Amino acid sequence: MKLLKPSWVSHNGKPIFSVDIHPDGTKFATGGQGEDSGKVMIWNMAPVLRDEDEKNENIPKMLCQMDNHLACVNCVRWSNNGLYLASGGDDKLVMVWKRAAFIGPSTVFGSSSKLANVEQWRCVTILRNHTGDVMDVAWSPHDVWLASCSVDNTIVIWNARKFPEMVTCLRGHTGLVKGLTWDPVGKYIASQADDHSLRVWRTVDWQMEANITKPFNECGGTTHVLRLSWSPDGQYLVSAHAMNNSGPTAQIVERDGWKTNMDFVGHRKAVTVVKFNPKIFKKKQKNGSAPKPGCPYCCCAVGSKDRSLSVWLTSLKRPLVVIHDLFDKSIMDISWTLTGLGMLVCSMDGTVAYLDFSLDELGDPLNEEEKNSIHQNIYGKSLAITSTEAQLSTTIIENPEMLKYQQERQSSAQQANSGPSGARPESSAPKLNSVMNGESLEDIRKNLLKKQVETRTPDGRRRITPLCIAQLDTGDFSPALFNSAPILPSGSSMSNQLTSQLSSDSSPGQASSLGLRPGHEPMLTSPPANSAAKGLEDGVKSTLLLTSASKIEPMKALDSRFTERSKATPGVTATISSIVGLVPLDSRPKDGVSALKDLKSKDDTSSDSEDKMASINKNLSFSKRKPELLMDGGDGVVEKRKKGRPRKDKMAAPTAQPFTQISPPVEREPSRVAAPPAPVAALKLPTPSIKKAFSLQVSMEPSVFLEVENEVSLVAGSKLSQLRCSRDGRDWNTLLPSSVVTAAGSSDVIAVACQDRMLSVFSSCGRRLLPAIQLATPASALHCSAHFVMALTAGATLSVWDVQRQKALVKNESLLTILSGADTTVSQSLLTQHGVPVIGLSNGKSYCFSSSLETWTLIADKGDSMVQCADFRSCLPSHDAPVSSGPLAVMQGRNLNAGRLASRLSSTPHHLQQSMTLAFLENQLASALTLQSAQEYRYWLLIYARFLVNEGSEHRLRELCKELLGPVHKSAATAWEPTTLGLRKRELLREVLPVIVENLRFQRLFTEYQDQLELLRNK
Amino acid sequence: MAKVQVLNVAVLDNPSRFGNPFQFEITFECMEDLPEDLEWKIIYVGSAESEEYDQILDSVLVGPVPAGRHMFVFQADAPNTGLIPESDAVGVTVVLITCTYRGQEFIRIGYYVNNEYTEPELRENPPIKPDYTQLQRNILASNPRVTRFHINWEGCAERMEDCENVDPSSNSMLPPSCLPGKAPSLGILPDNSMDYL
Repeated sequence: MKLLKPSWVSHNGKPIFSVDIHPDGTKFATGGQGEDSGKVMIWNMAPVLRDEDEKNENIPKMLCQMDNHLACVNCVRWSNNGLYLASGGDDKLVMVWKRAAFIGPSTVFGSSSKLANVEQWRCVTILRNHTGDVMDVAWSPHDVWLASCSVDNTIVIWNARKFPEMVTCLRGHTGLVKGLTWDPVGKYIASQADDHSLRVWRTVDWQMEANITKPFNECGGTTHVLRLSWSPDGQYLVSAHAMNNSGPTAQIVERDGWKTNMDFVGHRKAVTVVKFNPKIFKKKQKNGSAPKPGCPYCCCAVGSKDRSLSVWLTSLKRPLVVIHDLFDKSIMDISWTLTGLGMLVCSMDGTVAYLDFSLDELGDPLNEEEKNSIHQNIYGKSLAITSTEAQLSTTIIENPEMLKYQQERQSSAQQANSGPSGARPESSAPKLNSVMNGESLEDIRKNLLKKQVETRTPDGRRRITPLCIAQLDTGDFSPALFNSAPILPSGSSMSNQLTSQLSSDSSPGQASSLGLRPGHEPMLTSPPANSAAKGLEDGVKSTLLLTSASKIEPMKALDSRFTERSKATPGVTATISSIVGLVPLDSRPKDGVSALKDLKSKDDTSSDSEDKMASINKNLSFSKRKPELLMDGGDGVVEKRKKGRPRKDKMAAPTAQPFTQISPPVEREPSRVAAPPAPVAALKLPTPSIKKAFSLQVSMEPSVFLEVENEVSLVAGSKLSQLRCSRDGRDWNTLLPSSVVTAAGSSDVIAVACQDRMLSVFSSCGRRLLPAIQLATPASALHCSAHFVMALTAGATLSVWDVQRQKALVKNESLLTILSGADTTVSQSLLTQHGVPVIGLSNGKSYCFSSSLETWTLIADKGDSMVQCADFRSCLPSHDAPVSSGPLAVMQGRNLNAGRLASRLSSTPHHLQQSMTLAFLENQLASALTLQSAQEYRYWLLIYARFLVNEGSEHRLRELCKELLGPVHKSAATAWEPTTLGLRKRELLREVLPVIVENLRFQRLFTEYQDQLELLRNK
Repeated sequence: MAKVQVLNVAVLDNPSRFGNPFQFEITFECMEDLPEDLEWKIIYVGSAESEEYDQILDSVLVGPVPAGRHMFVFQADAPNTGLIPESDAVGVTVVLITCTYRGQEFIRIGYYVNNEYTEPELRENPPIKPDYTQLQRNILASNPRVTRFHINWEGCAERMEDCENVDPSSNSMLPPSCLPGKAPSLGILPDNSMDYL
């Protein structure tokens, strides 16, 4: 082990609270106290690692420093992908930094150090929610979330994909929360607080999984931080400060049952930080000795208030090494390199130490594959899904076709990369140019004064429009997000935050203006005066007599002017701008007040609108069953039908004609045929009430309107109803002997159901196509599509007729099979272009009646957890419209729930999710097939194929290809159909093959089928 | 943290004759779109002894300011010589550039300025009544003194209101160029003052 204390890593002697090594190992960040602010610094790792680099003047040591935190920075953490740095501090803020691509080296303007910032890191988002100092921040595996904990006793989970969105706030700790660690598997997050507890929270529902208090009961006193850590295999969680027999320990908590049987003992004072080595090790094989399958173990570093550091291997009973007196003050943070052999430790005394271990000391680190297989064994889930790609990069491409595809893919990927995303360093230069129209900065500067736009405001003031020389590359975070008001869990917390901010602004300010100002004065004045003199010596001509006291005196007086606020202004007003200040003086306070009012009213309205939203939501949940809402997105088949057409289900009626419900039932009108008041028990489904008149559009193209007027005339004591239809301007009308209850139509047929349970079908020109059909019970819903007519009766039976072939497709099929449960009703019904009837139920299930199978088949279930957990978004075709349209999409709702919960990817075991997605996709395929929806079948087939390719399921993929290809040689015996739903299967295969190419592993499969397809084409 | 960071100030036309306008090329970066303009001022300190002789050379509004890096040249006429005490005309003084947002000063950049005669004779025997036409102004551009103040970027509603309520009379006494947000009674400390060596 080598030990090094790079003295140049310092915050000018101020405490360093946190250190973190970048995942790529080239740099590290420190966080701590700055001059008057918090400070984050980014350092070059090379001078730490290599002596010659340290001595080389050309290799920068400090890469960037950021003074933006207003108070001490307690924690800095790189995201796992290395793109972002998160910092949390006493100013209650979490800042997320990203490297700015477009800027070269620069200094902090006016800063004392002439050291240039070699890299530019810019704050891309500020996360505000905590009401106290932020003590620790942690990125979840895969950078899905960022967690921060604070002395306000809470932990906030931020959506790292959509800053500054907050996922949740974990409450439960009753003391200052001082440490966080994510389970490497992503199932839990653990926190340790001053309330003598360590809590484990589930990421599935963000509820508490365990509250461990026993080892912490004895803990007295406080440590600044309690940075706990989770072992890389996920099996152990090790706490900071715990007590065992009145001795300070680091408690080991087992994942299995959260047992607390073991601990790391030996430190004389409280443990402040524990950090596991990211690698899992196995015993080093000695040369010549027989390879023994040693048990893998982990390595853990423990830092304490007693200023000492211990490093443990889980395979040893005693520490590997203990280093005393490394620092003058408490250890604050530890960070391992990703290789597992280097470690940086920082201390309150403002220094940093680097420890370099050898493989002999720690053992052989397992490679990612071995580590994954350990995870796979324990959790059934691999952490690195992407690792296969890396392995495959060495695979030889065996087929020219394959090579072509691969090259095409790469070039298109490159294009996509270089296109819109300007954040890459390579593309930064053209981007900058585009802003400046190709002019160099020097050119611009020469003419800036002439070129810049200067206007006068109405009150006569000069107003300059600054020249934008570079846009901010805000990267993943949309700048719009910053302006939008943060969505806070409750309205009150926002105002709290605001007021506290404001009060903290003003009150200490007042106090300090009295007490601190004099203290500042001498400190600030004397040294600058001297240096000013020196500066003048350099800058101004040397003839100037600077040594004389008289020259320095005024400067001392002047010095205060630099730092004190504009008391300057109450001087003699310049003649030039006598009107300058007048207007703002008048207007500003008013502005201020109105701004305040605005703010308040905004608060009000926001809470108002929240209420409104809530009520709307309520409405929504009520009206969930309203077909209108569900049908909105429908097109394809459905677009032929018309919104607002009275649908016969219970819910449709109120939607379309809300008043009919209120108006007394139609019975008051004694109907002629005495509409058989069928036994109420038999009426499962509601029937629409009869209206005096209604109209609807049944088809858009050609546009067909239906108008129904009931009881137009009385002939021989019977009331006649009129049905009028206009199609592309041509009208026809016909009379019916009974009141029309409901009507429907398509471009081909028009169907009306009357009160006397008669169903009449007309052609688009008004010709009666079928004699009146007598229904067993009154019609509940009627649909037409192409030349199919579907009737749903109040007796919960379904019939579908093919008018063209004058045949029944579905004959009085009972819905009782699917209407299980007391309050299930039909919420939606529709008929596809191919005459397949689909019934949506209020319980979220949708069925279609398959006439070939003569049975009800389930095609969609909104409550299906599989649907919710399936994650196939990565398999969505990028160029296609992301949403398929068709009956399946209609029934499942536009915003298919699929993948909604999948964002919790890391919470569900991978293999489980994989199976769920597979099951879901296969369901979709089967449903599309039953619905005879060719478009959707193709859509889902491609997604399915892509999923199989990504997940590497060769057997399924092969079966799929085989089915699509069919027998190469025709024989009478094969029952293979060359088409499915009118799509040629081999054409589908041709579409699937490029998908297969994306995984090199399947190149043999690809070649095999590519060849056969070629063969068939040549035949 | 401050939404606006001043990245650089270049002093143009320096050294130059006393009567020439001041020119500063200011480069700043803004974190997010600013709904209101920035107000920049150049203040010339006429005498080290008293603030009485401070002159606001000019003030400009700068806007609109979208997120990004921007630059502009702030030009202001030379100070009114009539307002400078004769004894202070020659020698070292200070010019200040301040920027305020919503009436709150968040940065102050100061430069030492040396005014001297270019003619050796005049330097040896300066006239009692300063001859401004012969004076050369030299701004010590290499050593800006930057002081940053912590302000409330989100708005200054309450503070402004306070100001109005607490002391309206004193406000009315202030010269028009003094914004109430800067009244010393509010005393906001410099949160980050950086001195060069």
